[in-house]
Amino acid sequence: MQRFRTGHSSCAWSQRPVAVVPRAFAGYVKTAAMSAGEIGDSPLFLLEYALRLLRVLVLIALWRIILEGRPGSGPMPLASVLTYTVVAEVFAEQLAVRTTLSEAFWHGTLVMRFLRPMGLVRQLAAEMLGRWGVHLGLFSLPLFLVAPLLGVDPRPASPLAAVLFVLSLCLAILVGLAMEVLFGAAVVALEQPVWIIEYLRTAIATLMSGSLLPLAYYPWGLGDVFGWLPFAAMAWAPLAIFTGTGSAAMLLLSQTLWVIVLWPLADWLWRSNREKLVGYGG
Amino acid sequence: MDVLSVTRGPQVMIAYYVSDLITGLAAITATFLLAERFDGIGPWTRSEVLFLLGYALLVRALINTLFNWNLAHISRRIGRGQLDHLLVQPQPLWMALLTEGFAPATGSGMLLPGLGLLIWSIHQLGLTLSAGWYALLVVNLLASIATVLAFEYAWGSLAFWAPRASEEINSDTWRLLMQLAPFPLDGLSGPAVAALLTAVPIGLVAWYPSRALLGIGTASLPAEAFLLSAAIAFAAFAMWIFTRGLRRYGRTGSSRYLDYGHRR
Repeated sequence: MQRFRTGHSSCAWSQRPVAVVPRAFAGYVKTAAMSAGEIGDSPLFLLEYALRLLRVLVLIALWRIILEGRPGSGPMPLASVLTYTVVAEVFAEQLAVRTTLSEAFWHGTLVMRFLRPMGLVRQLAAEMLGRWGVHLGLFSLPLFLVAPLLGVDPRPASPLAAVLFVLSLCLAILVGLAMEVLFGAAVVALEQPVWIIEYLRTAIATLMSGSLLPLAYYPWGLGDVFGWLPFAAMAWAPLAIFTGTGSAAMLLLSQTLWVIVLWPLADWLWRSNREKLVGYGG
Repeated sequence: MDVLSVTRGPQVMIAYYVSDLITGLAAITATFLLAERFDGIGPWTRSEVLFLLGYALLVRALINTLFNWNLAHISRRIGRGQLDHLLVQPQPLWMALLTEGFAPATGSGMLLPGLGLLIWSIHQLGLTLSAGWYALLVVNLLASIATVLAFEYAWGSLAFWAPRASEEINSDTWRLLMQLAPFPLDGLSGPAVAALLTAVPIGLVAWYPSRALLGIGTASLPAEAFLLSAAIAFAAFAMWIFTRGLRRYGRTGSSRYLDYGHRR
């Protein structure tokens, strides 16, 4: 009896399908796939792509105005800054992790997620990964490939930088996910409207993470101060490693420390306030 | 008005006010820090960049104060079927749209910082101010506000045809305008600048009006004429598409109603 690649035997109606994906992960893979499929419900995601592309073009033009003709003007040469800007947009979603937690609070459906046979954070992460797959394929990869047409070299500073970037990006995602859980718990603890906290968080994180501007270019030593905060571990660290700016070892160490600190804190805050969810409206 | 938020207690009002303030300041801080670091950006001196940022913040603050409660994000009201709340009122729709969004307590977080930045930058620039200049400032602010609202309403009108898919379209269009409005666009190519002054009027929110008021680049009068013409053209287009959508809404109504985001 020949088994097909799909895992079904030739006598499909009499045989149980062979699991291609380990059973433990099957639910998460399915969740990710369903989440990815939801993107096509509305074509508005194209507008988001237009915004991201425009932002890159404006920032590239801005940096060219500022740095062209000023070769020794800062810690990063123009080429590195342009690479930083493009790569920040390529991996924008990974550098600013967002799940559907805020929407769940808003719609009052969070409690329903506890009925699913999978951990809350894991299912949120699975949904997030599903969406990422679509956006990486439809926007990030094309942007990366057309970057040379914009006069930007999207390659990492060195092969080692490329390898360390992958590690750093994974740590950044872990930090971002911990922050997401932390802020979600804070919303419930403070009993504030979810979108106030969300807008505040987005505004502060964009500024302090270095996702828009490299921290190295902040005046008055602000970049050095922000570099120690968890927001910098989400974006500045991997991008700095990619462009060969700063010490990769120190950046990775700071990210690791924040992962170790934030996850227990997020877990404790979430568990402390889980009972409040019903009162909040989850 | 947002009297309800005020009477519920200072905590709610303060939360909205502070979040507005911080969000607005964060939106302009990137450009501000760059201008501080490099003592200006391209042809813009540091003080001129401050003026640009103050202008951008003021436009955003005035819209938040005068067109709050999702009136600037009209797609939410249409997509959630909440337009009927306005249609059943014994007043013309245009009057409701112009007045219902007044939120001086919770929506004015960026107003004082915007005014403060403008005044500080004007003082630093040592501008010779006249009644004519103040009149131009007011006209420019109105034109910028009209352009932003027209862009929002034009896109938001899609919700008449696709209420569920387009409910949040104005979130994206708002972000498109407000994220890029504080940046000077001088380094872009001619076609790109033309596109950002016409199809996607990011340049009309703060950059172009600021150039006109400060006398950077094109002479003031033609720039003002273009700004006003663009605002009128955008408003006319937005009215046309909104009324077409409203006509359709009159025949089909709304198949969905969601009460969140509505004042209770």
